[in-house]
Amino acid sequence: MAHDTAVLVLGGGSTGCGIARDLAMRGVDVTLVERGNLTDGTTGRMHGLLHSGGRYAVSDQASATECIEENEILREIASHCVEETGGLFVQRPEDSDEYFQEKLEGCRDCGIPATVLSGREARGVEPYLAEDVSRAIQVPDGAVDPFRLCVANALDAERHGARIETHAEVIDLLRDGDEIYGVEVRHDSGPGKRTHKSPGTTEEITAEYVVNATGAWAGQIGDMADLDVAVRPSKGVMTIMNVRQVDTVINRCRPKGDADIIVPHETTAILGTTDEEVADPDDYPEEQWEVDMMIDTLSELVPILEEARTIRSFWGVRPLYEPPGTGTQDPTDITRDFFLLDHDERDGVSGMSSIVGGKFTTYRAMAEEITDHVCAKLGVSATCATAEEPLPGSEDISVLEEGMDDFGLRSPIARRSNQRLGSRAADVLETDEPNPVVCECEGVTRAEVQDAIDQSGSDLNAVRIRTRASMGNCQGGFCCQNMATELHPRYDEATVREALDELFQERWKGERHALWGEQLSQAMLNYALHATTMNRDNDPAGASTQVDYAQFDGGA
Amino acid sequence: MSDAQRPSDDGVSSEQPSTGGVGGGDSDSGDGNDEFEPVQVFPEAEEMDLRPGADSCYKCSTCDTNCPVAEVDDEFPGPKFQGPEQWRLKRQDDHDIDDSVMKCSNCMRCDSACPSSVPLSQMHNTARAEYVEENMSKFSREYLRNRVLANYRRLAPLASMFPRTANFVMGRSVTKWLGEKTLGITSERDFPEFATETFREWWTDRGGANVENEDKRIAYFHGCYSNYNTPEVAKALVHVYEHFGYEVMVPEQSCSGTPMFANGMLEDARRAAETNVRELAAAIEDGADVIASCSSCSMSIRQEYPELFDFENTEDVAANTWDAVEYLRVHEDLMGALENTTVGDEFDDMAYHAPCHSRNQGLDGQTIEVMDAIDGIDAHDVGDSCSGISGTYGWKEENYETSMKIGEEMFEHMDAAEAETGLTECPTCSMQMEHGTGYEIKHTLEVLEAALVGDRDGSGSGSHASAGAGTETATESN
Repeated sequence: MAHDTAVLVLGGGSTGCGIARDLAMRGVDVTLVERGNLTDGTTGRMHGLLHSGGRYAVSDQASATECIEENEILREIASHCVEETGGLFVQRPEDSDEYFQEKLEGCRDCGIPATVLSGREARGVEPYLAEDVSRAIQVPDGAVDPFRLCVANALDAERHGARIETHAEVIDLLRDGDEIYGVEVRHDSGPGKRTHKSPGTTEEITAEYVVNATGAWAGQIGDMADLDVAVRPSKGVMTIMNVRQVDTVINRCRPKGDADIIVPHETTAILGTTDEEVADPDDYPEEQWEVDMMIDTLSELVPILEEARTIRSFWGVRPLYEPPGTGTQDPTDITRDFFLLDHDERDGVSGMSSIVGGKFTTYRAMAEEITDHVCAKLGVSATCATAEEPLPGSEDISVLEEGMDDFGLRSPIARRSNQRLGSRAADVLETDEPNPVVCECEGVTRAEVQDAIDQSGSDLNAVRIRTRASMGNCQGGFCCQNMATELHPRYDEATVREALDELFQERWKGERHALWGEQLSQAMLNYALHATTMNRDNDPAGASTQVDYAQFDGGA
Repeated sequence: MSDAQRPSDDGVSSEQPSTGGVGGGDSDSGDGNDEFEPVQVFPEAEEMDLRPGADSCYKCSTCDTNCPVAEVDDEFPGPKFQGPEQWRLKRQDDHDIDDSVMKCSNCMRCDSACPSSVPLSQMHNTARAEYVEENMSKFSREYLRNRVLANYRRLAPLASMFPRTANFVMGRSVTKWLGEKTLGITSERDFPEFATETFREWWTDRGGANVENEDKRIAYFHGCYSNYNTPEVAKALVHVYEHFGYEVMVPEQSCSGTPMFANGMLEDARRAAETNVRELAAAIEDGADVIASCSSCSMSIRQEYPELFDFENTEDVAANTWDAVEYLRVHEDLMGALENTTVGDEFDDMAYHAPCHSRNQGLDGQTIEVMDAIDGIDAHDVGDSCSGISGTYGWKEENYETSMKIGEEMFEHMDAAEAETGLTECPTCSMQMEHGTGYEIKHTLEVLEAALVGDRDGSGSGSHASAGAGTETATESN
């Protein structure tokens, strides 16, 4: 039987995109389908920490060792997505000395470089740290942009011949007896790049092998073929601060607990997080007290957070898994290790494996292991090269470090654009056309937005995750419409309007959890601009009847 | 555990990289104060972290619409970019401030315009200093020129020693041509004349204060211009305050720092400010309030010092510094004292321009009110535009045209007003007013002197208020 593709990967998160890239680089024909945008699941809903392994150095040393190894690899292959911020495990007076010592020794056991700083030295590194922080362990934590990293994997997979389909939701697994041979997907707007308003279609995609990399949604996929994948989704809240109060990752040095990490992320700082099991990864309560608790608790480490502006909060669900019968009660105690479930071995159903558990920092190693497994099934002998081959944007980083071109842009705009685009900067930013700033908060220009549109079609959220446009303090109030305008004339007016509404809604979703203080003022101004100045709450363009312009006077 | 694993702060001595210097160490958070306290976060000694100040900005752009430079220069990105946007995009290791910050004239109108208390001018001053430190060659003509302009006070004493020669040389077209060609100082403007006797020389010859009064004391911050160029303004202040029974002290002082901030010469400003804070704090200790006759000097001491420096007593000096007219309006019955006064032929109707730095202090309405109380003077407010010179800004060859474009509105309004004399409290605004209209420009204190005290040389055009509050202690002994 001829298949549409050799391997079909379900899920466009870091794991799925990592697997697609690895397979494609080994010369395997691969198709990836994703329900929404790339990163829409758990990948786009994390705090952006590139683990040094320090967090697991006491509880799970195998994970810790794996983290430091992958940390070092990602600094090389994805340098344009990684910021080498360094990290601190800080101890407050009430935190245990014994644990501090265990943490330090654990780091050293796992090969994680660790230095002890006095409270004063720690405040020399991060002046906003609380006065009573007594000591800290300095480790090579970093910050990583999960959006650009995931997109870069997908882009490179495509360069190696992969087919990447976003907005293609799996609606059924194709099973013939004890064999899975593909899926049926529903395309939001037909195959290829998304275009709003285009009619949806369905498609059966057959494959020699299917990899279920849908993380917290793996159980739902399994259900379609009566396979039991007992993933235990666990939600965590993250709050984004308007500015970076810290330039170093700040961890609380205590065994476990909610609200114990602050990660500098691009122009912002992200506070994290909580850990609470939920039944449905698509439907769980998002509660204000979770945000309040996190700000209060982390203010003990960085007091300025108490009064600082938050721009939004979001929740993510971890795809936690433990083998049947383990019976761990507290989700915090469930291992962060990953599991490869070969349904042939486990359930006697061939043609598919599911991948669950795991963590972002080690996505590449996970992908390598799964790809090895798939290649063994297919009889492919090519070896993995993802640890050595840089991702698009990180190919020749020396060029970037030596002479940062300003491409005629104002210096902070040029700097941020270069940091985001890495070695692709010249390709994207060198233009004879005018290149105005489209998003002022994040310093994103027209050329970068157009490059993202080239990659992703009319989907402005896809533009957003590639560029950070609309992710700054106005949360799109001042730039959503400018981004939408960039779609024209490639896309018609109706498409542009729908894309705009979708982006603005997405931005509003997270802002709802930050409506006090300055961000409330911001929301009011955004409302005034969009509802009144632009008349978007009663836009004649969206009305079913024609406006009777004769009813208006001449304005004189 | 080895000692190395247990460092304590007791063992960490002063060689540690500390958070001293600007900001003075750690934040004073958690005290319920909504305002963030900037701390020194960047490794270089003078750099402060103003990123949290961007929290207040919701991007309404009111600052941009009030920026006089942005209004006439399409290339200038405006205060919102210079301030909160640029700061927010910064990481600890980033030092590449955009060069457009040098196009900001430091009029500080954005501060007054902002509905959300974004520390705009503090951000601009700090970014400008970083730009000059990190991005401007210390050997460039621009740096040299700016240093000269910012430190005008250093040259002034020399010129004052030989004022006639200096005025002759500076007035020569060949000098101006050289100024433009070698330094980039515009040849379009006439250098201000130096007085043949400085205010401080006059003060010393006079034997200091004529009134002693330990209950009512002021320390006069005359600044550079009224010392070297317009001592008549400084003398007017002394006469007016002595008329109200104040003991005037004239402490040692340096430049207020205004031209240094505007040129990113924060180190020069720091040295000057340190002297001023020390001397003025001592005067306050002696029971004086600090009074300035120049609106930029008072602005600097009140707002920029506490925003940029933290010498001992900086806050105290800022809190006890006043504009000369404002102080009399608050502490004396100035309006009562002016009732029924006249100024004879010396002053007539006047075209009044409120300097931006008065506006920022909330003082833009006071002069018109005060002038209205004097018989025979009508003061016409020429509107709320910026004069365009903004200190040293309009002296730079590359800014001259922008400066004149900004000033156009004021020139037109002066022209339309029924007056042939100009009135203002800022020395460089006065240069611009004169340059644009050819009018003679007076300082408000000179008019008050004429009304309250009369002509000190005895031609007697002024008439006294009969019994203004506090006048009974005045002594006339000149």
